Amino acid sequence: MKNLVLFSLIAFCLLSCSNNDDYETIPEESLIDLSERIMAGGETTIFSTTSFAYSTPAPNLSNEYLAQHLRGDVEFESIFVTAPAEINSGLGPIFNNSSCISCHPRDGRASHPENLIARSGLLVRASLPGTNPNGGTIPVPGFGTQIQNQAIFNFVAEAQYQMLYEEFTETLADGTEVNLRKPKIQFINTYQAIPSDILTSVRIGPPVFGLGLIELIPEANLIAAQDLNDSNNDGIKGKLNYVWNSHTSQTEVGRFGWKANVSNLLIQCAGAYNDDMGITNPIFQTETGFGQSNGSDGLQDDPELPINRLEDVVLYTQTLAVPAPRNITATEVRKGAKIFETIDCSKCHTPKQQTGYSPIKALSYQTFYPYSDMLLHDMGEGLADNRPDFLANGREWKTRPLWGIGLTFVVNNHTNFLHDGRARNLTEAIMWHGGEAENAKQKFKNLKTEERNALLSFLNSL
Amino acid sequence: MKNQIFNSLGIAVLTLGIVSCSNNDDSTDNQIQNASLQEVVTNNSNNVIIQTYNTLNQRALALKNAIETLANDKTEANLNAAKTAWSATRVHWEQSEGFLYGPVDTEGIDPAMDTWPVDVEAMNNILNGSANITVQTLENNNEARGFHLIEFLLWGENGQKTATQITNRQADLLKAAAQDLQNNTQKLYNGWIPSSGNFVNNFLNPSPQAYPSYVNVLEEMTEGMIVIADEVANAKIEDPLNSEGSTPNAQLEESRFSNNSKTDFADNIRSIQNMYLGTYNGLGNGKGISVLVAAKNSTLDTKVKNAINASISAIEAIPNTFTDAIYNNRAAVTNAQVKVNELHTILKNELKPFILNNL
Repeated sequence: MKNLVLFSLIAFCLLSCSNNDDYETIPEESLIDLSERIMAGGETTIFSTTSFAYSTPAPNLSNEYLAQHLRGDVEFESIFVTAPAEINSGLGPIFNNSSCISCHPRDGRASHPENLIARSGLLVRASLPGTNPNGGTIPVPGFGTQIQNQAIFNFVAEAQYQMLYEEFTETLADGTEVNLRKPKIQFINTYQAIPSDILTSVRIGPPVFGLGLIELIPEANLIAAQDLNDSNNDGIKGKLNYVWNSHTSQTEVGRFGWKANVSNLLIQCAGAYNDDMGITNPIFQTETGFGQSNGSDGLQDDPELPINRLEDVVLYTQTLAVPAPRNITATEVRKGAKIFETIDCSKCHTPKQQTGYSPIKALSYQTFYPYSDMLLHDMGEGLADNRPDFLANGREWKTRPLWGIGLTFVVNNHTNFLHDGRARNLTEAIMWHGGEAENAKQKFKNLKTEERNALLSFLNSL
Repeated sequence: MKNQIFNSLGIAVLTLGIVSCSNNDDSTDNQIQNASLQEVVTNNSNNVIIQTYNTLNQRALALKNAIETLANDKTEANLNAAKTAWSATRVHWEQSEGFLYGPVDTEGIDPAMDTWPVDVEAMNNILNGSANITVQTLENNNEARGFHLIEFLLWGENGQKTATQITNRQADLLKAAAQDLQNNTQKLYNGWIPSSGNFVNNFLNPSPQAYPSYVNVLEEMTEGMIVIADEVANAKIEDPLNSEGSTPNAQLEESRFSNNSKTDFADNIRSIQNMYLGTYNGLGNGKGISVLVAAKNSTLDTKVKNAINASISAIEAIPNTFTDAIYNNRAAVTNAQVKVNELHTILKNELKPFILNNL
């Protein structure tokens, strides 16, 4: 309660500062009341404006779950080393990074790295054209579905990364020029020849807070939000990805990953241990490079991560608090929220979601505000990776949640956005929207300067 | 019983010391009680944080030189000098852990400098190979670099290393690791200073994109203090003391080769103290968070100061080495843990709300 009072005070101060900026375009009475959205993560919301805003346990956890969360916190930061070792044994032999936190710094967003040879929060997925019997991607012989660009001493990485950039400029209606860069990944020092028909897609480690809420959105709600044939003729469809879960041997709704190609956090975390760090575990028991000349350490020490440590990390990613928005009573922010609706951003970045029942009481029946419909949308040629993943075609991406996005700089000291981190700020990120979002993008380009600033203020309040 | 009397006496003397110290400073206290939020942020940024990194970088340079001397002439005296230089560098790293935000984190410097555990297998593979050992060798093997690799090579796994046991390959690895460490301390210092990375600007000049106000900066500083108190009590002490429930396990102790853990922990708490009091190593004008608290809530100010002192005292009161104590003096270790947890609770439940609601 105290926090809310304080918050109102801060908001009030900011409000009085921005009073001078009244615009004629939007009448005061039509501004959106954002007050209910203050609880961005329902009862898992925290009020923080520091670099710890993404890395705090949900405040409503029971003591028992809090203890497990804290154990998971240790696991999330644990650095793995070459086997055999007493502690955290089993890194690699080929890998992308050596701990969870190194790709999700401060539980946040990795930057688009300047040095592609060093370790970073960027990795590359790969596959061959076509689909496997379960509808998923076809691994590249000798490389699998991910290019591991690091290796332990005396082993050879699959390849090293190199990035080329195509640069161009777009001009907004008010004359503002926006410089855009389109990265194109290349491989150097490959340990063996890469097939010429390889499909690749770059990925940046995204923030990991609030994921337990997303995992619990009732499937029926997601299905109801789909518009497979654009029946309302607004140019926006929206479909769910259905993905194969090798652990349950079932096809399930995809919720996680940039293309929603993973159905739950157990598979997401276990897959990251295996593919990103080379840590075998009870879910994925085979080294990612098994059968490759550089992929086996020859030790009979699998699984390298026991189930209890994996479960602690899963619980950790389920129960990180969601940071509350700031300045929500400021006129500028409320105007921005209105523009967010009028130019159709909110059609895919739908503000509100709800959870169903969870044995973790802190997550049960929460109303929260991720600003995502969790559906796949065609985002146009500019963002296309042309690498299908289950039902997601080469132009489709899952709507990213926007909660906490305004704290990116404070937490991670950069504002690189989108799946490969190409955008250097929010304006660039918006300008990359195409396909089903083309209309909204055009409306954004035509906003008056002060309207655009209001929209950005709203986004930065999240 | 004897111990208890000694302890009480010790506390009494200590308390007296604290009281008399602050009595002398009454006039100064009054003068600086009006410190603005900006002055505290400026002093803590420029004179505590940046100067800690500056000293750390200078000590790392001295360590690099000491290791080069050792590599050229493997005498016991040179080995001891290198060990001393390692410990002297370590002090300032540990005293920086109360502010693990900014470049140390966003530029990936922490894992490059202080990676733990040491990748002994990778280290041995490097040593057993024949390729030249360079800084680049280490940059590509993140877990086989930094403070603890150097510590392992200088002290040996059991702390029994003699100068004659240092092979030429080990000397090469030590040289590369010390150079690599200093490259990182330089990068860290540069990341903050205005003439280079200028991270300090985010603190000194609040802006909507970073910290909207000085209160937000002070919240960040307080969070940093809370996090390291938590880390000392509930990870650095807890993990080796109570691994798998309640079994001690020295493998989980961070600086066990050099037996430096108690000093590490005390310096972590001093890091909190430096930010709270606005002083560091004879630098700083005393316009720390304490001044802001004392002006409005002297009870809380005293409480924080006492909890800091009690934590440092309890850590330093652990008999013998930390490795020995987790097996043979568990009560003393637990007492230190309790004291640090008390500090953590005060910082989290009293200081942070004060910063947010009263400034």
